[in-house]
Amino acid sequence: MRVAKLNILPWAKLNGCHDDVLLYPRPTSRSDNIRPFIRSPNYILHYQSINKMLKSTFAPIFSAFPAKHRTRQPSSTAVFRVFAHTPESVQQNASANSHTSILPPYLFHPTSAYVHLPFCRKRCHYCDFPIVALGSSSTQIDDDPRIVNYMQLLSREINATRPGTTTNPPLETVFFGGGTPSLVPPSLVSSILETLRLKFGLCLDAEISMEMDPGTFDAKKMKELMDLGVNRVSLGVQAFQEELLKACGRAHGLKEVYEAIETVKSCGVENWSMDLISSLPHQTPEMWEESLRLTIEQQPQHVSVYDLQVEQGTKFGVLYTPGEFPLPSETQSADFYKMASRTLSDAGYNHYEISSYCKSGFECKHNFTYWKNEPFYAFGLGSASYVGGLRFTRPKKMREYMGYVENLENGSVGCNENIHIDGKDMAMDVVMLSLRTARGLDLRSFAEAYGDSLVHSLCESYRPYVESGHVVCLNEQRRALAADEFNSVLFKEDKDQAKMAYIWLSDPDGFLLSNEMISLAFRVISP
Amino acid sequence: MGYLSRAQKALKSSNFLYFSQTSSKFSWLSALLGSNPLYGSPNCRHFGLSQPFCSHSRQNSKENVIDLNQYPPELIRNFSIIAHVDHGKSTLADRLLELTGTIKKGHGQPQYLDKLQVERERGITVKAQTATMFHKHNFHGADKNDTHEQPSFLLNLIDTPGHVDFSYEVSRSLAACQGALLVVDAAQGVQAQTVANFYLAFESNLTIIPVINKIDQPTADPDRVKAQLKLMFDLDPKDALLTSAKTGQGLEQVLPSVIERIPPPPGNSSSPLRMLLLDSYYDEYKGVICHVAVVDGVLRKGDKISSAATGQTYEILDVGIMHPELTSTGILLTGQVGYVVSGMRSTKEARVGDTLHHNRSVVEPLPGFKPAKHMVFSGLYPADGSDFEALNHAIERLTCNDASVSVAKESSTALGLGFRCGFLGLLHMDVFHQRLEQEHGAHVISTIPTVPYIYEYSDGSKVQVQNPAALPSNPKKRVTACWEPTVLATIIIPSEYVGPVITLCSERRGQQLEYSFIDSQRVFMKYRLPLREIVVDFYNELKSMTSGYASFDYEDSEYQQSDMVKLDILLNGQPVDAMATIVHNLKAQRVGRELVEKLKKFIDRQMFEITIQAAIGSKIIARETISAMRKNVLAKCYGGDVTRKKKLLEKQKEGKKRMKRVGSVDIPQEAFHELLKVS
Ligand SMILES: Nc1nc2c(ncn2[C@@H]2O[C@H](COP(=O)(O)OP(=O)(O)OP(=O)(O)O)[C@@H](O)[C@H]2O)c(=O)[nH]1
Ligand SMILES: C[S@@+](CC[C@H](N)C(=O)[O-])C[C@H]1O[C@@H](n2cnc3c(N)ncnc32)[C@H](O)[C@@H]1O
Ligand SMILES: [Mg+2]
Repeated sequence: MRVAKLNILPWAKLNGCHDDVLLYPRPTSRSDNIRPFIRSPNYILHYQSINKMLKSTFAPIFSAFPAKHRTRQPSSTAVFRVFAHTPESVQQNASANSHTSILPPYLFHPTSAYVHLPFCRKRCHYCDFPIVALGSSSTQIDDDPRIVNYMQLLSREINATRPGTTTNPPLETVFFGGGTPSLVPPSLVSSILETLRLKFGLCLDAEISMEMDPGTFDAKKMKELMDLGVNRVSLGVQAFQEELLKACGRAHGLKEVYEAIETVKSCGVENWSMDLISSLPHQTPEMWEESLRLTIEQQPQHVSVYDLQVEQGTKFGVLYTPGEFPLPSETQSADFYKMASRTLSDAGYNHYEISSYCKSGFECKHNFTYWKNEPFYAFGLGSASYVGGLRFTRPKKMREYMGYVENLENGSVGCNENIHIDGKDMAMDVVMLSLRTARGLDLRSFAEAYGDSLVHSLCESYRPYVESGHVVCLNEQRRALAADEFNSVLFKEDKDQAKMAYIWLSDPDGFLLSNEMISLAFRVISP
Repeated sequence: MGYLSRAQKALKSSNFLYFSQTSSKFSWLSALLGSNPLYGSPNCRHFGLSQPFCSHSRQNSKENVIDLNQYPPELIRNFSIIAHVDHGKSTLADRLLELTGTIKKGHGQPQYLDKLQVERERGITVKAQTATMFHKHNFHGADKNDTHEQPSFLLNLIDTPGHVDFSYEVSRSLAACQGALLVVDAAQGVQAQTVANFYLAFESNLTIIPVINKIDQPTADPDRVKAQLKLMFDLDPKDALLTSAKTGQGLEQVLPSVIERIPPPPGNSSSPLRMLLLDSYYDEYKGVICHVAVVDGVLRKGDKISSAATGQTYEILDVGIMHPELTSTGILLTGQVGYVVSGMRSTKEARVGDTLHHNRSVVEPLPGFKPAKHMVFSGLYPADGSDFEALNHAIERLTCNDASVSVAKESSTALGLGFRCGFLGLLHMDVFHQRLEQEHGAHVISTIPTVPYIYEYSDGSKVQVQNPAALPSNPKKRVTACWEPTVLATIIIPSEYVGPVITLCSERRGQQLEYSFIDSQRVFMKYRLPLREIVVDFYNELKSMTSGYASFDYEDSEYQQSDMVKLDILLNGQPVDAMATIVHNLKAQRVGRELVEKLKKFIDRQMFEITIQAAIGSKIIARETISAMRKNVLAKCYGGDVTRKKKLLEKQKEGKKRMKRVGSVDIPQEAFHELLKVS
């Protein structure tokens, strides 16, 4: 296998360059010492897993899990493999290569893209997303200049985004979020997809999701979107009670909900999801039970259950205080959460993330990039991207966003060189995101990156919660450790540290108090 | 401490003509014991150097250098401004400084001498401040227009605090003075601290000039005030000056009266140097700065001096006056008040009340002061666990400038390492906290203030308890008796409030000692009250029930036997040592309930249920529970906007940081602060 010599990288010189392998000192346990960075966008840092087969035609798979496929490195060094742009050789050699290494997931090349389509007919009373309300009067949506202009701007942003070489791995997921993406004419969606394909490449089997609102599409539109490649639909139902839909300020009624579901099903969308909101004003346990039951009856592959967040500046924010009438009490709202967890689990859904449920194999791949702390592109008003270890949120006001795109085009904003990523921040991200999932935090790779002592302190501070059952510690076989087992490993009575492989939050009690558990971890990481 | 006992005798023998009740005044805070030490020092040994030694600009070759040699004692007047809180001392000081051109009119802030941030924010003086002024004056009607003929006088003004907690500052200040302006608000009339401060000055044999201030107010009634002064202090109505520090009315009489009525300092210029150390503070740049009053002799830059208390020797690196900022003069002469910088490393070396004298000369030490007495004690702990060292440093630095706080290390199971501090009163404690935070960036949690009790056990042993936690909840030895400190309180109120005030005092276990009218509308009462009962909110309640018209002052008195019990607070069954208090048996139930309710209100729901209990020994007297938190989850993590979510969680984390973790319970700092308010 050919690997270019990398004399330009300062740390390559500093730490020695052995032919094709760069030795990079393993981060010490002092997490504040870790400052991983990419010096230049011209290098692709690859992580490989030996057993995985090539999936795309371009590059090896960029995946961090399952962890057991990883080859572990001698404890004192983590080896980063750095490839130059030699796609063929990579392709030829990757699968056969036994020299594998652990690369932090945020250094992968993005294979996901979020695209924000902000248009809505009106703003829902709970909503604080960056949206553009078109007003119900505009029936001629197809050539509404606001949409047309925005879509052009979006293309420009995509095109102006660096790095733009054909050697990047192609996109594996695209997510059209909103706003109400289903308001956008399919022809315009098509051009965006085309732009993405030209710019980054798009896997043939990429997951392409779109958020769709009842009452904004018919079978024709659905079919057109499917023809473009949209293969996952997220339907914003929110509730199955007319009065609740009204109270939320939704632009549709129950009838449209059923029509939309029927359309999605009849068009043969095989992977669709339904959004529900719990703890809405005046929502009773009976209503919630009904919504869950009716949801299950429709047999979506995926359900997202969001606990209402009363956001500042929204109508709800002005009218209501969490926990106070007409919102359900804290206890009641916790009960709603538990009810959803129990009912959906009983109906065969996996509760794979705090607010996500799915039938086996129907996890939202796109959202999983977030929770795995992997990079993703984002385009459009107010959208947040994560590329090269840097999180960036675009302007939420249209005028400013326009300016941003212009600056991007003339190069005055762009790829930051020498981004320093704070180790603590990174560790906090990893904990925060992974603890949202049923898979939990992989302690061994966490220790690899941030040191054993951090893992130890984390476990120590979680000890009371292992006892109370909010936190579960698993061994390599994903068997839960009993509290005393956990303690004895923690206090080194049991020397077999490998017994502690994952930490997760229990469902529903741990999930329900996830903020407590995560902020506790933050305190450990950055006191 | 020979000079103390000597002074004690002097106090007993000094004769007070006017009021018999005064002889017992201020057993702890009368700093000046006996007759004014500045008057006639009996054994003055001649030291050889005659007075007008010319200091040919040893240090300052600048122009405008003030030549203190021009000011023999006859041309010096040292006086304090004393009054009840807010009667206008600091404002009057401003006017006098302006009048003499010491500060420019309209420049600088009002209450110029209130320099501390706490003083500015609260509008009160907590530290006495000295300023030297120069004023030309002709005795007895010489031609006023002929300025050349007018001699210039050197005047030292000391502005003092009015609040009872800081009367120690007043006592110290009076030691450097021969007279005092007793300021009385023309509308409010004589108030409790007027009485207290009058006696401090009176017992120090100072000349008292009554100044009836704020006569510009529509409700001003100077004649009534004159009558009160006559009745209570036997001050001649003709002697009273009428002023408004606000409009300037009547101010022109003030300095002439000072010069004509107050005697010059009595010291002996040709005697060996003796100076009284009045105060000290630490300055970033200059180091320790001492305020001194030269009683006898002369001090020059470069002199070697010794401390009578420690025997330590120092060289005078800088000497000068406060004019009003530090102004080098190279010399200080008999009767003058100024500052010295002498290379002391810490203000601990500068014992307030100490006598400084020339190295190798032998002098009779000045009487000095009785040490300040600490009325309340409380634990101070770093609010964020790890910061003990930072707090230690901050306290060390602050005590350099506020020596009236006593500090001892202590540790608490709940709060870790901290300090037990003794304060002159609750306002003093509050001000100390505020200064720690503002001037030294420390964040503190303080425990419930307590007064020092004495417990006696069956084996005859006695212990003083400054920290309730130190008292075992279930002692092995039987407690046979307990004593608590009491105070003699002075209360002055409009007569219509007598009923409720008497009720309040008896609720607080008070015993009335005196009841009289100071005029047709005002009642003067004396009470013996347990110190613990007035420490926290007595004054506030008194003020609110009298619409602010009551005034209140106290002096410490003896211990009395009482039935005091230890009240424990338990969280999830574990006693929290830092929350223990000592209360009167009959009040334990109510206080226990209140504490438990306060805690319930201020502790947030947590992941587990929390029980809060109050107990005496093993008997639970109050109980509350806080149910477990049910839900704290951000269900909506959408569009990968991780940053926003993370901010939220970091905010939660920061919130947690401000909590004190006791066992498995997070207690917000406010909860500790709230506990302080329960009495
Ligand atoms: N109307 C009127 N107000 C005055 C006069 N003198 C002072 N004041 C006001 O009274 C208030 C208290 O004045 P200070 O000079 O701070 O009083 P103090 O006696 O130094 O107060 P402490 O140091 O806290 O005891 C301020 O608001 C002054 O502006 C006066 O002659 N007339
Ligand atoms: C970007 S939003 C709206 C997408 C689409 N316009 C719709 O209404 O279905 C995606 C989902 O977030 C959820 N959501 C939005 N605001 C929320 C809030 N304040 N609290 C809880 N869930 C919320 C809703 O369930 C919504 O379907
Ligand atoms: Mg003042």
